[in-house]
Amino acid sequence: MRQAWTIASKDLRLRVRDRSAFIVGIIAPLGLAAIFSSIFTPIENFDFTATYAVVDEDGGQVAAQFVQLLEQFGQTAGVEIEAVGSRAEAVDLVDVEPFSSEEGADAAFVIPPGFSQAVESDQPAGLEVLSGQGGIGAGVAVSFAEQFASELTYARVAVASVENLGGTDDRFAAGLRALAIPPPVNLVDLEATNKELAGKTFYAAGLAIFFLFFTVQFGVNSLLEERQAGTLGRLMAAPMRRSSIIAGKAIMAFILGLISMVVLVVATTLLFGADWGNPLGVLLLVVGGIISALGIMAVVAAFARTPEQAGNYSSMVAVILGFLGGTFFPVGQAGGILADLRFITPHAWFMQGLGDLSAGNVADVLPAVGALLLFGLVTGSIALLVMRKGLRA
Amino acid sequence: MDSRASVLECRDLKKSYGDNAAVKGVGFHIAEGETYGLLGPNGAGKTTTISMVTGLLERDSGEVFVNGLPLTTTSIDAKREIGLVPQDLAIYPDLTARENLIFFGKLYEMSGSDLKKRVDEVLEIIGLTDRAGDRTEEYSGGMKRRLNIGLGLLHQPRLLLLDEPTVGVDPQSRNAILESVEQLSGEGMAVLYTTHYMEEAERLCDRVGIIDLGEIKAEGTRRELVQLVGQHDRIRLQATGPCAAGVEALASLAAVREAGVRDGGIEMLVDNADRWLAEILGKVSGAGVGISSVDVEEPNLESVFLHLTGRALRD
Amino acid sequence: MKAFTIAGINLRRFVRDRSNVFWVLVFPILLILVLGAAFGGSSDPRLGVYEAGDGELSGGLVLLLEEQSGMQVVGFESRDDLVATVERGEVEAGLIIPADYDAGLQAGRSVVVELAIRSAEDAQGIRGNVQSALTQQSGVLRAAAFVQAEGAGTFADGLDVAAATGENIPDVTVTVSSVGEQIGYFQLGRFDASAQAELLLFMFLTSLTASAALIQTRRLGVARRMVATPTPVRTILIGEGLGRFVIALLQGVFIMVGTLVLFNVDWGDPIGASAILIVFALVGSGAAMLMGSLFSNDQQAGGLGVLFGLGLAALGGCMIPLIIFEYFAPTLFNIAHITPHAWGLEAFDALVIEKGTVVDTLPFLGILLGYAAVFYLLAIWRLRKVLTS
Repeated sequence: MRQAWTIASKDLRLRVRDRSAFIVGIIAPLGLAAIFSSIFTPIENFDFTATYAVVDEDGGQVAAQFVQLLEQFGQTAGVEIEAVGSRAEAVDLVDVEPFSSEEGADAAFVIPPGFSQAVESDQPAGLEVLSGQGGIGAGVAVSFAEQFASELTYARVAVASVENLGGTDDRFAAGLRALAIPPPVNLVDLEATNKELAGKTFYAAGLAIFFLFFTVQFGVNSLLEERQAGTLGRLMAAPMRRSSIIAGKAIMAFILGLISMVVLVVATTLLFGADWGNPLGVLLLVVGGIISALGIMAVVAAFARTPEQAGNYSSMVAVILGFLGGTFFPVGQAGGILADLRFITPHAWFMQGLGDLSAGNVADVLPAVGALLLFGLVTGSIALLVMRKGLRA
Repeated sequence: MDSRASVLECRDLKKSYGDNAAVKGVGFHIAEGETYGLLGPNGAGKTTTISMVTGLLERDSGEVFVNGLPLTTTSIDAKREIGLVPQDLAIYPDLTARENLIFFGKLYEMSGSDLKKRVDEVLEIIGLTDRAGDRTEEYSGGMKRRLNIGLGLLHQPRLLLLDEPTVGVDPQSRNAILESVEQLSGEGMAVLYTTHYMEEAERLCDRVGIIDLGEIKAEGTRRELVQLVGQHDRIRLQATGPCAAGVEALASLAAVREAGVRDGGIEMLVDNADRWLAEILGKVSGAGVGISSVDVEEPNLESVFLHLTGRALRD
Repeated sequence: MKAFTIAGINLRRFVRDRSNVFWVLVFPILLILVLGAAFGGSSDPRLGVYEAGDGELSGGLVLLLEEQSGMQVVGFESRDDLVATVERGEVEAGLIIPADYDAGLQAGRSVVVELAIRSAEDAQGIRGNVQSALTQQSGVLRAAAFVQAEGAGTFADGLDVAAATGENIPDVTVTVSSVGEQIGYFQLGRFDASAQAELLLFMFLTSLTASAALIQTRRLGVARRMVATPTPVRTILIGEGLGRFVIALLQGVFIMVGTLVLFNVDWGDPIGASAILIVFALVGSGAAMLMGSLFSNDQQAGGLGVLFGLGLAALGGCMIPLIIFEYFAPTLFNIAHITPHAWGLEAFDALVIEKGTVVDTLPFLGILLGYAAVFYLLAIWRLRKVLTS
């Protein structure tokens, strides 16, 4: 064990002297995190606001009811409602260049003449929504109009049914009473906890775990470098077990990974306001992440002949796993095979563990940590088997 | 000055790195068919000198002429005449020997069947014909060294610069390298050979410049250098009997200096051992001393270097 | 001529390393495929639906939900799975249809349907859609309840009459009229936008990481050996640059043709597109030369290559479209134009969205050539110094 430490500390000193590990382990992820958070934060913080115009060309009771409901909706949803005189005026308002500072509306509701009359007399009736090109705002408007229309459809059927059974009354008043009947299906909100990582945390964490694999690879690769330089033979001639050499390399790679992760967690928290969550939970995930990276990179190195080859293959593996695991974009949102496939990568477990931690307590990270350790254990064992056979000078 | 045409002529080369003067005014010339050795310990300024002579390094002052053509870092014509064998390997590991040779051949403006023929010749010279199609990263150390030299010979330069070509080479390859240098020199090529191995300089070089701390301390043929510093041959006799009497008997010979009894024998310095050995042996045995063996040591460049700098070559 | 020899040896060494083939050819296409398939399609919000029972009514509700505009429906196999997915932000909301949905409705009981959401604001549009689907489906039941409440008949009577009445009364409709011209960016096909962005990202990134080869040449001593040959330093550097240029260009052509064939990506006017490709390959190879001249450790250059390759691409609008910058963060929009990527994307806009020709790309190409010139000049100045001192 003493020799393993000696080897590890020699390698660490070498890595500190050669600044590559520092650049790959700290500078690159931190630089990218800075860029990503500066790009994504303003977009994430952008509040949804919209302006809707409404044209009442009808002037009837049903139309008035619609405008009243719309104004209520506007107050709760933070949407500005602007009444305008004519459809042409509304078209002008909606027809603004999207994403420009020009004053205008995202959408407009047009209630055509005779609308109330038609609704009350069971004639075909319809509302028109003028949809702008801005995106979200217009979609919400259409959904509001459709909801109102389906309520009207129901009320017409309900009132007509009562009439058919003999009860007659003022149709409009009956309609209002029909709408007051609670729908048989009661839609209730189930407030789900928010376990989605905020943008700056997502990118800080994604980049950290992505580059961790490269940092750890530096450590693992040093075994092959020693073989190429001929110093491996010298180490193997020394009075110690071969496992001490491997242990030394593993310890060094682990410490390298730990240093880079700790620096990244602290730096992204202080500099970019990333919120990693409970420190103990983060530490568990980080340790799990390093061990999984160690195992996977060791397998790659075990099958490579030269350090260059190992470097090439491990970059490939690290990049593919990183992208698939959703460190650059949230693969889970894509759904389908891709969303399931990501769990073959440690990266996905790491990210999910952090998400769970953000809304819960330390115990919530245990499944993710378990998965990460399993990755490390399985791949590490394979690597050891292959290396034991192949450990030669 | 040699009567033959001077292939390399350099004067007053100087180069400093910051406050550290690596080369402080080196100058020498090499004639056609001549092998000139720069002998000095590691760090004496040999590689810096050779880099300035090849136009790899911007010099602070001085002049270099190759075949009468002035050479600077931007010269093209002068560089055509030079073949360089750098001290460290300079080959592409991911290309084969043949590919390496063809590539550099093209940079020396060779082409077509001439290039192909010459590449085959060089492969033959460096003994890599069989392995010419393998990537050089698979070669042994000695094979890489041989290719490194082959690349310098490829375009049949008038001047070949070899910078410590035998460092880290096994004895067999080393001998092959020395032989091929001898052969090339015999064919009329001018060779500049830097080394810190005294034996190589003695074997190969027509003239030697002894370089230390960026200066040439002395220059000449081996004999000239030895005489320059007035060195003597050393004779060591394994002897029995009255050695002290033998030493006394030698006092009458003017050529013998500093004779004395050492480790059961007699040791002395002699102006010219060849001329005086018989007489010395006569005097000693005449004094009743029994001689069991005679050892004559001629002065060598090692002792010249020691004399000039007060240090051994290989510190 | 010698420059071509040097470029040729560069290419040969590049091709010989098989991992390069992966990075240059396979990986970009793979990424465009995945990004296009996953994110290139509709950006409508997604509603996850879990049906606990398998009744006709609950099935009918799902069909109605699927007909709603402005949202996508994704099926789930378990309630926990659905809730967890909502929590993780992978769908915007989750609807849980209980097992007694059919039985409860048929018995005239009030049925509770849960909508899992992370915040009320996020789910506004979706809630409206769910509400109207529910209203549509339960109209007859609710009308029957109304009949009962009005005292006009029993619930059973109400069901019969309402079903019959509903047949004769037309639905109140909503027509949506689109006003104004759609933003060019949103007219792009599923793969178009990501293909343009990835093309520029990869040409630049691969060039930067390939700068390691130049550093290797220096480290191996081969660069010095080349300087010792009768070859001007300028020619050596042009040769090295040419090698990088050809690699970047090959990659660009491959991505362009590959995405055209595989995904039918619209690259606009072929002459214009080729011009952008050539100029951007110059920019990329220039940046590679600069990088190769500034660093003497290929591993360091590799790490920084990834940093600059991805970082500049992100800043330059290859990850989030420039139009979004323009709207949400005008400062970033200006910063983006420090990178060559933004100008490359503008050039593609001129071709693909504005349907322009090579002439319309000229201003952007001019700026890009400026970048290339600055990169090359700095690199040559620096390398000349490095190689002869």
